[in-house]
This record gives sequence, structure tokens and C-alpha cells, in this order.
Amino acid sequence: MDKKAFEIQFNWIFVLVAGAAILLFFTAVVLKQKSLSELSTKAVVIKTIDAIITGAGVSTDTINIVDIPNSNIEVGCNRAAKQYQNLILFAPGLIKGDKLITQTMAFSAPYRATNLLFMTSPQVRYIIIGSNSLAREINKSLPSDLKKEFYESMPEIRNSNNYKVRLIIFENMIDVPRALEKMPDHDVTAVKVNGNNEKGTIEFWEKSGNSWLSKGSSAYIGKQPLIGAVYADTLEAYECSMRNAFSRLNFVTKIYAGRTRELLRRASISGNQPQCSQSYSSALAHLSSISAASSNFGIDSINTIAAASKLLADQNKNAQIHSCTLIY
Amino acid sequence: MNRKSQIQIGETIAVLFVFFILIVVGLIFYARVIKGNIEIEGEESSQLRSVGIAQRVMFLPEVQCSEDNNIIDNCIDTLKLESAQSLMRENEVYYYDLFEFGNISVAQIYPNEVKWSLYLRKADNLRNKIVTNVPVSLYNPVTRRHGFGVLTIETFSK
Repeated sequence: MDKKAFEIQFNWIFVLVAGAAILLFFTAVVLKQKSLSELSTKAVVIKTIDAIITGAGVSTDTINIVDIPNSNIEVGCNRAAKQYQNLILFAPGLIKGDKLITQTMAFSAPYRATNLLFMTSPQVRYIIIGSNSLAREINKSLPSDLKKEFYESMPEIRNSNNYKVRLIIFENMIDVPRALEKMPDHDVTAVKVNGNNEKGTIEFWEKSGNSWLSKGSSAYIGKQPLIGAVYADTLEAYECSMRNAFSRLNFVTKIYAGRTRELLRRASISGNQPQCSQSYSSALAHLSSISAASSNFGIDSINTIAAASKLLADQNKNAQIHSCTLIY
Repeated sequence: MNRKSQIQIGETIAVLFVFFILIVVGLIFYARVIKGNIEIEGEESSQLRSVGIAQRVMFLPEVQCSEDNNIIDNCIDTLKLESAQSLMRENEVYYYDLFEFGNISVAQIYPNEVKWSLYLRKADNLRNKIVTNVPVSLYNPVTRRHGFGVLTIETFSK
């Protein structure tokens, strides 16, 4: 090789090394920036959900549409983008898109124990089928921004390319709609409601090919937890949030029991209004049954709480009639 | 290799060196700006957290006044406070999820001075403290009279 040829080759190798170094440098910068941007998107989502959860604790009967960076949020038991200890959130297992629909409602049995937070994506389709008043009431209670459809009897359902479809059935169970047969099984779910707006049972179903597979049943007390069963697409998610709501009810009941005990003590000391003492004493018995029943979530405890709530509401009315301090 | 080529290569290396130096200086500047922003955001985030906790306390069914299940805003029931005091202390771990590291107390100023300590959870490595004072009405259901007090929420952070 002569000297000139060696010089040209050396120049090319030099250009190659320098070019590679520059490329490598910028690739590293871009990759770092990409991971930072992903991290920042995640942080924005976590912050938004945290703010929603905080807001849910302080305001009842609200509906909000929140803009978020386009993302997939996985929701599980005590988990929504991050881990919580006691999260009362009813939502589908996966929330996709750049918008969140949130709704809050008070959970009262009969006094307010906590707020229930419902969250979903406008891309999830809800199909309500039923002709009774409860079906109409549930349809009315769901936000109008939700992709919801209400039918009195089984309609012809078409696939409108939603990533999840939830059927809420108030009468006899229907067949899996043909148009939805090709969707993944876990994305087509149904909940069958048996009961009224005070209490009842709910059965969770998941599509399995062209038929339904039962995933178990649970219970609800009041309209609000029933709406929770509409949003939560699995039995586990529903029961997890209900267990958390019940533990909150347990704490609040203990507070009311302590308060009523003190009211009874003071009424007994003064002895002016025996009717007040009578109301407080009966109320204490009902509060203690609510307290005992709310330590576990289940059909039996729901029946006990529903019965005791009614009796407690009567005692509260009695207290009001006799101008006593109200129990709650 | 002749002398001219050697000088050319030297010049290229020098240009590359200066180029990388400029890039590094730019990156350091960018990182400092970002770090400053993160610090500001961190400060804002702990203030927001503090406000969030204050809101949670204000709307806690355990202490809030209610009349026939109708919630009365900015009002704390003193009989509920008595029960909440011991319940929240016994279940500190449960309430940590709501209040994190902090100190929550209610002080009645009028008609007489009384203090209730609702929640206290501290850690040695937390040095920053944000204090939020909220004036509240304190309702005594026995006398059916309203007093005046201050709800103090201290939140601790690193």
C-alpha cells in the first residue's frame, strides 16, 4: 500500500469513529430524554389520580371529566397507578385513553360513612337492559358523558369497537351478543342484578367464547354500591372496594356509638326527657349490630346492616319528634 | 502520513473537542434548570399534599357535624371529637393512608379553651413542616351551642 492510499483509508476510519461517537452521544441523550418523558407522563397520571382520590373524599354527587396524557391505567385491589392501603374505587381493570370520567356518591348506612369513587374511560361501552324502575334509576344515575345505552328488552347489539363492553342486566340473563363474540373474553363482562334500590344480590359474568361464565356473586346495600358493581368489572375488584367501604363504616359507627353513649349518659343524668334516653338506648343496640356486621363484608352482614339502618333511622326520627339531639 | 494531514487531523480533533465541550456545558445548564424546576415542583407538591390532607380532615365523617344526615360545612362535632381522639390513636396505621406523616389537632378558643389531639405520626428524617390553620365552628350537641376553634394540620416531609 502506498502512502497516499494509507492516508485516505485512515481519514475514512477517523470519520467513521468520530461519526459513531457523535451518533452514540445523541442516541444516549434521546434515549434518556425518552425515558424521562415516559416517567413524567406516569407522574402526571399518578398526580391526577391522587388529586381525584383526594377530591372524592371531600365532594359528593359530582361528575368530572379529566384530561390526562394518553395512557393505560391498570386498576386493581387498592391499586390505581400506585398502591394504596384502603382505596374505595370502582373502575374497570384497565382504563385506556386520554380522558377519565369520574363520579362520586356518598355511602350512607344510614349516616354518611364515606364517599364512593367511580372512574372509567369514555371508550368503555355500558349496555343497560331492563324494564323495571331500578334499571331506569341506574341509567339516570350514570353520567351522560359515559358511552351508555339503555334498552327495555334485548336489543340487537353491534360491535362499535370499544375495548371493553359491560352489560348490566336487570331481568333474565341474555345470550352473548353475536357481534361481541370475537372480542377477548375478559373484555366482555356482565352483571345481573336481583333486588331493589335498598339491597339485593349481584352476579358477575364473563364471556367465554359464545356463552357466559359465572364469576361468582355478591351483594349490595343501597343504590351507590350497585353503581359500583356497574363500574367494577370483576367480583374481586367490587368486593375489595366494598370491604374498604365497610371498614370505614365500622370506624364511623364506633364514633356514633361513642357519641350516642355520651348523649345517653347526659340524658340519664338530667332525667328531663325519658323519651330521649329511650331513643339513645335503642339506637345504641342498632349501632352495635351495624358495628359488628360491618367488620365483614358479605350477604349476611348486608342484611343485618339494612335492617339495623332502618331501625336506627326510626330512632333518629323519634329523637327529632321529642326534640332530642339527633343521633346522626 | 505527511505533516499537512497530521495538522488537519489535529484541527478536526480540536473542533470535535470544542463541540463536545459546548454540548456538555449546554447539558449541564439544562440539567440545572430542570433541577430547579423539580425543586419548585417538589415544593408545590408538598404544599398541595398539605392542602389535600387539610381538606380530608375537614370532610371526615368521623368529626364533621351533621343534622339528620345533612352535612354542615366547616363544623366539627365536639362529642364526635371525643370518640375520634381515641379511635384514631388506636388505628394510627389505618389513618396513615389518609394523613401520612403529620399532626392534627383541634383547639377551641371560645367559649373556653380546650384542645383535642386527633392524630400524630412523626419520623426522625422528616425536617420540613407545613402548617395549615383552618378556623372552624365547634358544635356541642348537648348544649346545642356553637363554639369557635382552630383546626391545625401539620404535615411533615423531607
